[in-house]
Amino acid sequence: MSIAYDTIAFRSAKCDGCGECMKACAAVKQGTSRISIVPGARDGAFEMALCRQCGDPKCVMVCPAGALSKNAGNGIVDWAADRCVDCLLCTSGCAYGAISADPIGGRVIKCDQCGGDPACVGACPTDALEWGSAGSIYNRFGDKEDMFVPGLAGCQGCNSELIMRHVMRRIGRNSVLATPPGCIPGMGSVGYNGKTGTKVPVFHPLLTNTASMLAGVRRYYDKIGRKDIVVMALAGDGGTVDCGFHAVSGAAERGEKILYICVDNEGYMNTGMQRSGATPYGSWTSTTPVGDKLKGKTQDAKNMPMIMVAHRAAYVATASTAYMEELYDKLDRAIEASFHGFSYLHIYSPCPTGWRVPANKVIEACRLSVESNFVTLWEYTPEAGLRFTRSPDRPVPVVDYARTIGKYRHLDADQLAHIQAKVDEQVALLKRLAGEVSAVSAARAAAPEDSSTSAGAVPPPLRHETFRP
Amino acid sequence: MSQAAALSRDSRTLVIDGNEAAAWGAALSRPDVVAVYPITPQSSLVEYLAKFIAEGKMDAELMDVEGEHSVLSVLHGACLAGGRTYSATSAQGLAYMFEPYFRTPGLRLPMVVSLVTRDSVTPCCVWGGQQDAMTVKEVGWIQMYCETQQEICDSIPIAYKVAEHADVMLPVNVCHDGNYLSYGVARVDLPEQEVVDAFLGEKNVNWHACLDPERPMAVDPLTGGAGGAGPSMFVRYRKGQCAGMSAALDVIVAAHEDWGRRTGRYWSPLIEEYRMEDAEVALVTIGSMTGAAKDAVDEARLDGRRVGLVKIKTFRPFPAKAIAAALSKVKAIGVVDRAVNFGWNCGPVFQEVLAALYALPVRVPLVSFIGGLAGADITPEHFARSIADTIRLAAGEQVSSPVWLNEFDK
Repeated sequence: MSIAYDTIAFRSAKCDGCGECMKACAAVKQGTSRISIVPGARDGAFEMALCRQCGDPKCVMVCPAGALSKNAGNGIVDWAADRCVDCLLCTSGCAYGAISADPIGGRVIKCDQCGGDPACVGACPTDALEWGSAGSIYNRFGDKEDMFVPGLAGCQGCNSELIMRHVMRRIGRNSVLATPPGCIPGMGSVGYNGKTGTKVPVFHPLLTNTASMLAGVRRYYDKIGRKDIVVMALAGDGGTVDCGFHAVSGAAERGEKILYICVDNEGYMNTGMQRSGATPYGSWTSTTPVGDKLKGKTQDAKNMPMIMVAHRAAYVATASTAYMEELYDKLDRAIEASFHGFSYLHIYSPCPTGWRVPANKVIEACRLSVESNFVTLWEYTPEAGLRFTRSPDRPVPVVDYARTIGKYRHLDADQLAHIQAKVDEQVALLKRLAGEVSAVSAARAAAPEDSSTSAGAVPPPLRHETFRP
Repeated sequence: MSQAAALSRDSRTLVIDGNEAAAWGAALSRPDVVAVYPITPQSSLVEYLAKFIAEGKMDAELMDVEGEHSVLSVLHGACLAGGRTYSATSAQGLAYMFEPYFRTPGLRLPMVVSLVTRDSVTPCCVWGGQQDAMTVKEVGWIQMYCETQQEICDSIPIAYKVAEHADVMLPVNVCHDGNYLSYGVARVDLPEQEVVDAFLGEKNVNWHACLDPERPMAVDPLTGGAGGAGPSMFVRYRKGQCAGMSAALDVIVAAHEDWGRRTGRYWSPLIEEYRMEDAEVALVTIGSMTGAAKDAVDEARLDGRRVGLVKIKTFRPFPAKAIAAALSKVKAIGVVDRAVNFGWNCGPVFQEVLAALYALPVRVPLVSFIGGLAGADITPEHFARSIADTIRLAAGEQVSSPVWLNEFDK
């Protein structure tokens, strides 16, 4: 298996040009910043100039002195100062403007990723820069056995299939897997007529009894001393929040030692896209259709992970496939917690077929759902309480997310305002649970009623348009 | 086998109610996982189980879950993992349990669940009757109905022996009447633990379907479809289920015989014939009503009337041949039910007996008696009236059927 490398990712939509990354880099490198944020072609947008650590680096090819080389271990294009003859051919060979001559001293400077903990990423206040460790995941799990056959019959772009394969690749063979009726068994994992698509023990529980059946499996194995088996569910939202709720709630209350993963595609997609208790307000579904009188679902979604927090489950987390490294971290903690108590992982899973999202836009929908706070990513343990694993501050408007999803195509301004208000309300509640009282609301609470200034509000960002290499 | 659950040797004879007798029968069978949820008139049974486990008399995982639906569901999981399992329920609990209940025989899970029979809501009622058990007679569980507290205690180990037999592999309901048996107190001689252990032998409950990483398989994948191999596979599963049910008749007889040899208590496995040798009319009974019915038969005999009685112990599978043989020589039959069959306006046992008798070359007239609903007592007087009606029927008189025994009770 080839090695994949971690990298610094840049999201221009989140960058406001504040320049903190450049300051941080300059401080760490005690000189000129290796990263440059520059005004982009689109008005008000910014772009980044930073070494991509290319797989076929042109700078290395043009270097006549052998001073530049691709490091196979960490993927970084290394610069050897003692070999460099300062010809600067490399700076003209790079298409990204990412290797340059230092205005101070004139020698070559380029990003070395600070040994895996880049200062620029830590300094970015808007999360426009992210340390993408997906390469590490590939290196850790890429050669692990896929627990499903290659030909599962999921729809093109199915996010649930992606979740199934990753989760079970991580967990491996020493497991018992429940997949209650829905897309997950329906795509062939449990199988038809004696054939199965799964390599671990797998079964259809009833739609209504997943957590209970698993609890019985676990109790017996614990009793006979086989305590290392991961006893787990990959369940849809319908069987979790609706008719199977009693079993989930009961198992959580009793602290049954199981790993319950809810793959939330916001409805009964396998049976033809009917609404569930997890379907968000406004959604078109086949039972909340759009017509002259009704315009999609008229109720808000049940927030199952927060209900699990109220059960004080041993571990509760939300995750998104747009952030796989985070998903894997949470999966590790969820597995560990399942040997001690009820462990609940809620993974949001856009359904290209049922949501009317193009297959190649599913991950983008995942990402926008998080960036708009429509989906919040957090984790909870009774000991540590609730904490955000991805900041809900500076969200994009929820309409940016909604317009990528076909099932929201009909939404009018009032409906969008309703969703935005509910998203804000949800985040405020989660922040209170996380012990984060926002500066604005704290100040508001402290200020006299007639105060016209919102003291403590975040000042508008500075625009460092003059920052250039 | 695990070490706990060794019962003290100095208290083998107890005076206990039927629910405690069931709990002892379960404890002696050493289930690995017991799931409990209370419902009248079963509640004290699960309390006894919890107490036995709390006191270390029983080495089982106690799963006190959130409802009967999960009671049976956790046992599905435990059984597929390899455990021996037990629970008990009644009426509404059985109704709520129905979804996994319906699935249990299809999965061929050899579990034992006591049904403390009760009339089912609505009309609202929490007292004895057999409407709950009779309503689920077509689901595929074996059903055995007990007459006494001692028979309850003994029938639970027997039920495991039947359920776990390789030719059967089906779940068993050991039924005992709510109120009359559940709360009625009588002497019970507990069998020795070693006797039960030797009787049951090593368990192997998931050789056919299991959830075990050491034997990975897909349990219960989809079958069926529009044609070809799918539906034919479904047919083979269904046919196998029916074959298991049919095989159970002989296994039930053998298990009772084996139990009798080991304990000295020989219970009638399928049906019991009481004073049938020269009987001209017969009553058919089921469950705890039988004692009063036998008294009434004895009274009638003292008056010179040739009356006998057939008690049904095993109702599913239905011992049709044994019933037909036992009733082949009588001139009229009165079948006493503690439940109704809505579709045929009679008792459910009546309808079954009627069907069994079709094999006979002669037509025997029958009358359906329905009594003991909602906790009502079926007294020897009620049975005396039933006998009189049946004798009138034998004499060629018209008897309107069904007869509602408790309709005019004061």
